[in-house]
Amino acid sequence: MSSPGTYDLIRYAQRKHRAFTEVVETLDESKFHFSAKDNLCAEGFQARAGSAVLDGYSPPFDATAIKRLKMGGGQLVGKTTMDEFGFGTFSVNSAHGIPLNPFDLERSCGGSSGGAGAAACLIPGHVALGVSTGGSISGPASFCGVVGLSPTYGRVSRYGLIDYGNSLDKVGLLSRSSDLVWRHFRTMAGPDPKDPTSCAQPTLPEKGIMPTSLAVPKEALANIDPAVGKAFQQAISKFQDLGVQVKEVSMPSLRYALPAYYILATSEASTNLARYCGMRFGRMEEDLNQHFNDFFTGIRSQSFGDEAKRRILLGTFCRMVGFRSRYYLKSLAVRQMLIEEYRRIFQEHQAVLTPTMPFLPPLFEEIGRMKPLEMYGADFLTVPPNLTGMPHISLPCAYVEGLPVGMQLVADHWQEMDLLEAASVWEGAFPYRFPEVVL
Amino acid sequence: MDVDSMDRETIARVAKVARLALTEDEMERYAKDLDDILNSFSVLDEAPMTETFTFNPIPVLDVLREDQPGQDIDPQLLRKQMGTYQDYVRGPRLS
Repeated sequence: MSSPGTYDLIRYAQRKHRAFTEVVETLDESKFHFSAKDNLCAEGFQARAGSAVLDGYSPPFDATAIKRLKMGGGQLVGKTTMDEFGFGTFSVNSAHGIPLNPFDLERSCGGSSGGAGAAACLIPGHVALGVSTGGSISGPASFCGVVGLSPTYGRVSRYGLIDYGNSLDKVGLLSRSSDLVWRHFRTMAGPDPKDPTSCAQPTLPEKGIMPTSLAVPKEALANIDPAVGKAFQQAISKFQDLGVQVKEVSMPSLRYALPAYYILATSEASTNLARYCGMRFGRMEEDLNQHFNDFFTGIRSQSFGDEAKRRILLGTFCRMVGFRSRYYLKSLAVRQMLIEEYRRIFQEHQAVLTPTMPFLPPLFEEIGRMKPLEMYGADFLTVPPNLTGMPHISLPCAYVEGLPVGMQLVADHWQEMDLLEAASVWEGAFPYRFPEVVL
Repeated sequence: MDVDSMDRETIARVAKVARLALTEDEMERYAKDLDDILNSFSVLDEAPMTETFTFNPIPVLDVLREDQPGQDIDPQLLRKQMGTYQDYVRGPRLS
């Protein structure tokens, strides 16, 4: 049941923080309330994935994750803002509004599920569906000070998700508490014949096991903002106070994760986005008298944003004859190598612990000065578990200058419940803070 | 095509394959950006190559259903979105 002010908070999150692209007219008080990132299809809403090329597209069906939450007693109350097709770390690459951080309106919510992060933070009891390809749940969870779970690749059906990188995309959840995430994750997870990648999964256990030993890769702590590094060390001490062993390890293959991820993600994106060509859905090209090359090229060039074009170009290049082996196939090999490196760590430890983001939520003016390569580099902590399909969770672990700092736990494939158990224990020891909302 | 640098000629060819029309300014900017990005990614050349990789990070099963007619979504609902002409999807000339 929602509190009386829930609808006001939803409208506030939409108006003041641009968390939503669309919201419902009325709330059903007999149901729990959830939102969905705008790249998930749902009846009654547009699904534009932050892109102008999908303006006007209203799918006549629900994504499996949404359908299951509705069947579990939920009402979809709105769609949340995001980077175009998930292409971004700060949610600034959107045709439908840039979400503003709940703790400071001049700072980013993180990306690409930025609107989901803001909604989860601003609305108590709210659960926001996010999607992660390279860190798009962990990043916003860290910058917005909430819990963000990215499940194992294949744990939650991708049916009804507008693809970015189909071997990387994962539907997950953001909320103020791990208990809400636990409850709704169990509703969403499970095999779905409409997504074969979801059909090889083991049964989800009722409850997880609290990790007793965590590994911290030393390579992950280079290039961290000193304030984040200090906060992270305090989090390690707190885990030790809870009786958890924390040990430094080495994961040398981490240095290959970022390039391998960007090559695979953009290669897949460049083919997935080939379908947007001014026919069938979204923006329609009206002049049918053109040659098909001009027809497709015209609508794509007018509609895709700057970062979408950059990633399409990068991915197309990496798949071209002569480069495929050097870039694409090598990246697949690196993914396998990194999975094996994680597995070696998991023989002695139950999870890998790092900060989530290397710095505090940045100001928009700082983001405006960043070059594309710097922006990609900001993902270096969230990319490894995403590349390897490992489940991971971001939890608030400190507050610096009034801003939240997140830490990220990574577990072996299918061990989400252990992460949620760790999150529950952590919450008992470290109370979360949320900004006061004045309506 | 030079493997080690991203010049305007290369970016023009890539853009044509990707069905993107770039302005002169975009051409120059993306060539520079991609050059920076690919230079940084050359660290991958040091990673060992293996033949034992798959295209997904987890095992994937083939899923078959009974061979019986089924319909999830009314085709009329889909056609309504598409701006069809007499139930045909409209598209450009092929030549």
